Amino acid sequence: MVHALNEIYRVLAPAGTLIDLRPLMEGSPVEVVSEGQTYPAGVVNQLPEDIANDEAANQSIEKAAGQGWFTLERSDFFPFSYYWDSPDEMQAYVEEQWADFVTIHESVWKNARSFWAAAGTKGRLRVQVKMMIARWIVVKGD
Amino acid sequence: MTLQKDPENNETRSLHALADFTGRRALEIGCGEGRLTWRYARSTRLTVGIDPDQDSLRAAMQDRPADLLGKAFFARLSALHLPFQKETFDIAVLAWSL
Repeated sequence: MVHALNEIYRVLAPAGTLIDLRPLMEGSPVEVVSEGQTYPAGVVNQLPEDIANDEAANQSIEKAAGQGWFTLERSDFFPFSYYWDSPDEMQAYVEEQWADFVTIHESVWKNARSFWAAAGTKGRLRVQVKMMIARWIVVKGD
Repeated sequence: MTLQKDPENNETRSLHALADFTGRRALEIGCGEGRLTWRYARSTRLTVGIDPDQDSLRAAMQDRPADLLGKAFFARLSALHLPFQKETFDIAVLAWSL
């Protein structure tokens, strides 16, 4: 990752901008939403390998900053929501797209299915992922 | 499947709050199918999206809006080896990819 950051540094102009935008999946709430009401079913559990990847990413950007390539100017967090019309659709997506990153405990699925069934046709499932966004400025000499 | 991603547009708002793309030359690392690219590329002078996944890039090129044909480009590349001259871009976006 540090090598990639070095390449990015190389192709960026002096005082250019690097935006680091990524999800922090651990503890993302799984909810059923219906007509303005929210029913918490549980949370997503990030797999240890993916937590290690997050830590490696943090270390890489810190290392790049330590090299004097970038300086952090601003960072922020915001929610990024996924919505599905049914638990089956959500489960299919999680198994296809997120299997390498997270697990969702059976009790969470059970809660979600129960809340969704009770909510009727207007119920949707939501996973709200915490996103990190940071602006780094390129530091280059003359 | 009726998946909706970020219908509240929090990502777009946050991105534009932190970065001014106007007239800039932008490189997006991990552009995937271009979902994020379409949110800022119009205001850039040039956008290059790179991703290692050919299927995602194919989708991005198919979905590319007509007004971005001469402005947004995609290539199958890894950030480990960027075939660009130094200081080609003003802004780089690590799109869910670090």
